[in-house]
Amino acid sequence: MRPDRGRRQLALMLAPYLLGLTVLVLAPFAVTLALAFTDYDLIRPPRWTGAGNFTALAADPVFRTALLNSLLFAAVAAPLRLLIALGLALLLHRRAPVAGPARTAAVLPTAIPEIAYGLLWLWLLNPLHGPVNQILRIGGGNGLTVFGRTPPQWLTDPADARAAIILMSLFTVGEMFVILLAVRRSLPTAVYELAALEDATSWDVLRRITWPLMAPVLGLLLIRDAIGSLQFSFVPALVVTDGGPPPYATTYVPLFTYRAAFEYLRYGYAAAATVIMLALTVAAVAVQWRLLRSFRGR
Amino acid sequence: MAELASESVSPGTGLRLTGVSAAYRREQVLHELDLDVARGELLVVLGPSGAGKSTLLRVVAGLQPATTGRVVIGDRDVTALRPGRRNVSMVFQSYALFPHLTALDNITFGLEVRDTPRAAARDRATAAATAVGCAHLLGRRPGQLSGGERQRVALARALVREPDLFLLDEPLSNLDLELRTETRGELKALHSRLGVTTVHVTHDQTEALVLADRIAVLRDGRLEQLGTPDEIWRTPATLFVARFVGSPAMNVVPSGGPFTPAGAPAVPAGSRFGFRSEAVRLTTGDGTDGTVERVDVVGEDAYAYLRLAGGDRIVARMPAAARPAAGATVRATVGWADTHVFGADGRRVTVA
Repeated sequence: MRPDRGRRQLALMLAPYLLGLTVLVLAPFAVTLALAFTDYDLIRPPRWTGAGNFTALAADPVFRTALLNSLLFAAVAAPLRLLIALGLALLLHRRAPVAGPARTAAVLPTAIPEIAYGLLWLWLLNPLHGPVNQILRIGGGNGLTVFGRTPPQWLTDPADARAAIILMSLFTVGEMFVILLAVRRSLPTAVYELAALEDATSWDVLRRITWPLMAPVLGLLLIRDAIGSLQFSFVPALVVTDGGPPPYATTYVPLFTYRAAFEYLRYGYAAAATVIMLALTVAAVAVQWRLLRSFRGR
Repeated sequence: MAELASESVSPGTGLRLTGVSAAYRREQVLHELDLDVARGELLVVLGPSGAGKSTLLRVVAGLQPATTGRVVIGDRDVTALRPGRRNVSMVFQSYALFPHLTALDNITFGLEVRDTPRAAARDRATAAATAVGCAHLLGRRPGQLSGGERQRVALARALVREPDLFLLDEPLSNLDLELRTETRGELKALHSRLGVTTVHVTHDQTEALVLADRIAVLRDGRLEQLGTPDEIWRTPATLFVARFVGSPAMNVVPSGGPFTPAGAPAVPAGSRFGFRSEAVRLTTGDGTDGTVERVDVVGEDAYAYLRLAGGDRIVARMPAAARPAAGATVRATVGWADTHVFGADGRRVTVA
C-alpha cells in the first residue's frame, strides 16, 4: 500500500508539468510537423502536399535570404555576446567598491521587456536625433563624424541595419554574465596565487589558466546562445527594422515564419520553415552533447 | 635570475622578519613578529588553527601585505615586491595543480611564463620530477593521480625554479597516516640534499619534531617560542608550548597542592608544575594516592588516567605489561628533574 501511495503522489506532482509539456510543447510540435507537409490557410481543410513545402522553400529567394541572415547573425552575435559576457565577468568577479552596482548594471538590460527594449533602440538609433549618431557626430561638422564620414544609416542601409540588430543583442547578455561570474568565482584561488608567485602576466593567466578552465562552460554557452539567437532576432527585426531595409536585409527565419503564417496565412509553408529551424537546433544540440561527453571523458 | 642569485650568495640570513604585522579583514592576525631563519635552515612553524601560521607564510610569499614591518629574503628586502619578484616557491595545502595540464606542463608552468626555452624547461622538469620520485607520472593529468602523487608533482613544481626560499603550507595534511610518515622522511632527506631555506607550516607536532632544524611555536599571531625540537621538548618556554607539544599533553598541577614532585624546592606562589606522562612513576613508597579512572593501551604502551587525592587529574605512561587495572588505587610520584615550573603568567620559571 505504501509504495502505491508514493507512486500516486509522484504522479500527482508530475501531472501539472506533464500537462503543460503536452499541451504547450508536444502537441504543437506534432501539429507543426504534420502541417509542414500540407497546404493550410485556416479556411479550407489542410491538403496533403508531401515535400512540396520544402522544395518551394528551397527555391524561395526570400527564405534563402532569411536563412542566410539568421546564420550570419548567429555566427557574429553569439561569439561577440559570449566575449562581452566573459569580459564583464572577469572584470567584475572580485570584491570591489563599485563591483556590486556594476554587476547589477550588466544584468539590467536583460530584464527589460523585449518590445520596450526594441522601441528604446528605435529611438537610440534614429539617424537624425538618436543619441548614438549624435555621439558619433561629436567633433565633426556638417552632420559628419570626426573622420569626415557619414554616420551609419542604422535603419535604412542594409549592412548598417544588420549591424544595428547585432549591436542591440550585445547588451542583453545578463544571463551568460551571471553564469560566467559564478563559474569564475568557483575556480580555486590557490591556482591564481601560484600563478602570482611564478610572476605570470595577466595575459598568461588568462590564456593558460582562466580560459582553459572555463572552456567547457564557454563552449556550451556559445552553442546555447547560437540556438537562442535563432529566436531572439525576432523582436528587434519586427519592432526596429521591420525586416528591412528593403527588400529583406534583416528578415530572419522567425520573422519569415511569422509573416508566412500570420500575414499570408500560409500555415503549411510556415510550419515547414519552422521544421527547418528545428533541424538546425537539433544539429546544434548534437554538437553540444558531443562536446559535453568529450569534456566528461577527460 | 642570475643577478638575483649572486646578490643573495652571502651566507647568513635565509629569511628575516622584523616587526611584521598582518590583518585579515581589519582583524589583526600577526602582531609585530620577529623571526630569523638561517640560510639552508628548515624552520617549522607550529601552532593550532587560527594561530596565524598560514598568514605568516602568505605574508612572506607576498600574497598578503604586511601592515607593518619588513620581510627580508636572503639579503633582499622584498617587503614592497610583488610575489613573482620574491623568488620563492610554495606548495599549497590543496597543491593547486592545474587540472587541465599534465604533470609535466604543471611543473614547467613557472619556467614557461618566465620565457625559458621549452626544451630546457622540459629537462629541468624531468630532473626535478626525478628528485622527488614522480618522473614516471609526467604524462598524466592531476585527475589521474593519487593524493600522494599530486603532492610529489606539486613539490617538483616548487623545486624546478631553484628558489631562494621554499614555503610549504601543511603539505602533508591531505595524505593518509602511512603516506604522511613516508613523505615526511622523504621531505627531510630532500631538504638535506638541496639545502634550500625552508619554512614549513603544520599543526602536527610530530611532523614538527621530526622535520625541523628549529621550531617556531605560534599562538594568536605571536611567537610563543623559537628553538630546536630538543629545546621545545625539554625546556618549553610557556605552559602553552608545553601542553601543545607532546601527546598526551603535559600534566599540569598547581604548586602547593597535595601532589608535589619529590625533592621540590620552594617555588613562587601561584606556580604550576608540569611533567610529561612518562615521568610519572607508580610507586609503593612516597607519593600521592590516586584512583585509576581509565587505562588506554596502545601496543607496548599504556596510559593510565589517574584522579589524585585532592582532585587533580594526571596521565601516566608505562609499559603495557605493568599497567594497573581501572578502578585500582595507586600511588604516583614524579622526580624534580622531570618537572617544569611555570609562573602564574604561564611563563617558565627557573628554580635553583
